[in-house]
Amino acid sequence: MSVNEVQQNKEVEQNWEPKILVFACTWCTYAGADLTGLSRLQYPPNIRILKVPCSGRVNPQFVIKAFQKGVDGVLVAGCHPGDCHYTSGNYFTRRRFLLMRRLMEYIGMEPQRFQNRWISAAEAPKFQQVITEMTEEIRTLGPNRKLRDDQW
Amino acid sequence: MVDLTLEIRKTAKELLEKGEAKVVLGWEKGNFPYSTTPVFIDKPEDTERLIWDEYCINNLALYMLDYKHLDGKVGIFVKGCDSRGINRLVQDKQLDREKVILIGLSCPGMKDEKKAKELGPNADIPMAQKCQDCRYPDPVVYDVFLGEKQNKKVPEKIDTSDVEEMETKSPDEKYRFFTTNYEKCLRCYACRNVCPACNCKECIFDQTATGWLAKANNVSNNMFFALTRAMHVGGRCIECGECERVCSVNIPIMLLNKKIIKDINFLFGDYDAGLETEERLPLGGYDYTDPEEFM
Amino acid sequence: MLVVLKAKLKDILNTLAEEYKVLVPAKIEDTSKFISYKDNVDIILDENVKLSPKDVFFPQTEKMYKMKTVKTSMELENITDEAGKKLLFGVRSCDMKSLDCFDQVFLTKGYIDEFYKNKRDSVVTIALSCSQPMQTCFCSAMGVDSQKAVGADVQAYDLGDKIGLEAISDEGSKVIELIKGQLTEEGAEVPQPGEFYLKVDADGVSEKLNGMFESPIWDDVSKKCLNCGACTYVCPTCHCFDISQEVRGENVTKYRCWDSCMFGEYTQMAGGHNPRPTKKERVRNRFMHKLNYFPDRYNMLLCTGCGRCINVCPVNLDITSVIKQIKEAE
Repeated sequence: MSVNEVQQNKEVEQNWEPKILVFACTWCTYAGADLTGLSRLQYPPNIRILKVPCSGRVNPQFVIKAFQKGVDGVLVAGCHPGDCHYTSGNYFTRRRFLLMRRLMEYIGMEPQRFQNRWISAAEAPKFQQVITEMTEEIRTLGPNRKLRDDQW
Repeated sequence: MVDLTLEIRKTAKELLEKGEAKVVLGWEKGNFPYSTTPVFIDKPEDTERLIWDEYCINNLALYMLDYKHLDGKVGIFVKGCDSRGINRLVQDKQLDREKVILIGLSCPGMKDEKKAKELGPNADIPMAQKCQDCRYPDPVVYDVFLGEKQNKKVPEKIDTSDVEEMETKSPDEKYRFFTTNYEKCLRCYACRNVCPACNCKECIFDQTATGWLAKANNVSNNMFFALTRAMHVGGRCIECGECERVCSVNIPIMLLNKKIIKDINFLFGDYDAGLETEERLPLGGYDYTDPEEFM
Repeated sequence: MLVVLKAKLKDILNTLAEEYKVLVPAKIEDTSKFISYKDNVDIILDENVKLSPKDVFFPQTEKMYKMKTVKTSMELENITDEAGKKLLFGVRSCDMKSLDCFDQVFLTKGYIDEFYKNKRDSVVTIALSCSQPMQTCFCSAMGVDSQKAVGADVQAYDLGDKIGLEAISDEGSKVIELIKGQLTEEGAEVPQPGEFYLKVDADGVSEKLNGMFESPIWDDVSKKCLNCGACTYVCPTCHCFDISQEVRGENVTKYRCWDSCMFGEYTQMAGGHNPRPTKKERVRNRFMHKLNYFPDRYNMLLCTGCGRCINVCPVNLDITSVIKQIKEAE
């Protein structure tokens, strides 16, 4: 039985729903999420959005802490390269999370659980699509136990 | 090495007598044939304590953090890995290069102290793991050089075969491997404290009140520590392997560090930390042409 | 003396496992410690375990009680230890001595630590003598008899290919009674301890330290210390802990966990002042506590000579050298 399955059986019975934390840059992705709602584009209600000034604000430990506290997936989303409100924040994000994604996969986290996307303020359909896809991917994987603190 | 020991003592003595250095950092013999311990010499007559043998394994560079505010210069003996540690500190703006006198020593590779303890006095002691993996036995920076350079032929690229082997495993296998290892972590922080790249004045792990990492020891918290630290020294790790050497429960810490080094080489171009002090750090900058995976 | 072949040790442990939860010294994951006995564990008898058995009595993280807010009041809930007696097989004299130190701290001077007491009372100990000390051992210098442990319920002797057993306490007699059928009576003598590599003379160190708080040797001793907690965490006698809590919504779990005087946060006060700001003060405290404050209060050294700190220290800061330095200081 895999690490996740043990807990899975229990939680599936209790109508488990994926819980995804989205770190959204306030200038692009957060505005994009706003537009998604304004445009009446439906996406699964499985995400919690955490607004950050820039995707570059997101530290590796934000991500690990989220998994510790029991989320099933983390998405870090920001402006497209070249569009950063602070000129270069997202370029740092890109380097940092290119590495971190590989590290997380390396220690046994399924790659679908930790994702990164560029979503602009105008890309409501993309936001809808990314969230829908990610929710489905994580629903297939089931609840996450990896890195999770027992108490949560 | 006996001749070099005499030369080391002589050099240290001269530095102190001429007043060029206030203190000299080197190694002295410990209580066992297989042990040495760092020594801090400030009187010319004490230089007799200095030695150079096949167990001078400690990376002395990080002690420079204690001498940041010393009025005067510090002499320090450096092997290849130590010299990269010095560069690490200089590049991180933790040390003024002008304040150290680096006395370079070519390192033949040190013996494994833990193995020596287990195998007993008459055994043939293998080289320490960190020295087997070493690619820079000669110091990359120094002011004075003692002895002869080996100019040993060393592999051009870091050996990441163990990392690659791990990568081929299934997610659950990998997760199990790392968690069984970090389950035993005592969080004594020896790995952090011995690391020249871990030179923050205040460490996140020393501030439990901030709520990032509680003192409670469990595998989740221990992984939080391990991954955060690995990311934090990412691009700055000089591969000296001290973290793994000092681990009191033998966790293969370098498996994480080497993974990041390997990925940096692959993603952003080959980079060996601690070879120079001017260039931009891999995670301290960016390129417009970096791989794009987030579309 | 009642003896058993080492090859048949597992038979005995199997019998005992029916009555007790048996813990044995074993190799595990590239280190060694006391773990639950199963048929396939790799028991080690030729050397002491790398991690001391202190976590059996004083776990690194120990949940104490839970709290829950219900409307305007608060409910408390105790956390009980798992029931049943434990049997600790193969504890060396040094680690038995450390339990003696723990007993002083947690059970005397008018205060009883119930978390410790519950665990202590539920454990029966079989001590094992050492035939050959490891290179880092110096227990004899700390007043510990490697052949006869203090406070053990049963004393076992390493007799080469056999193990001799001798009941010391009533609890111990019960243990022997259980396995009597598997033991044979033989005329064996208590073995002589092997030669110690480290020569240490700790006589008078405690008294001498009385006047040495401001001694310059602490500058010297502490310089190479990295202030990691390796020595304190592997030490069988170090017993400092911190109390903290996990909070989730209205549920709180209080726990205590090991702390180390090597860490800056250890003496950090609210408001930011730290009376032990540098490694000098921290290292001084470690050795003063072991060699002076504790003997002052409980009349015994807080070091049992197990040598674990010497083994793990990243920079080989050796307590035996420190003792020597103290003795030589003016």
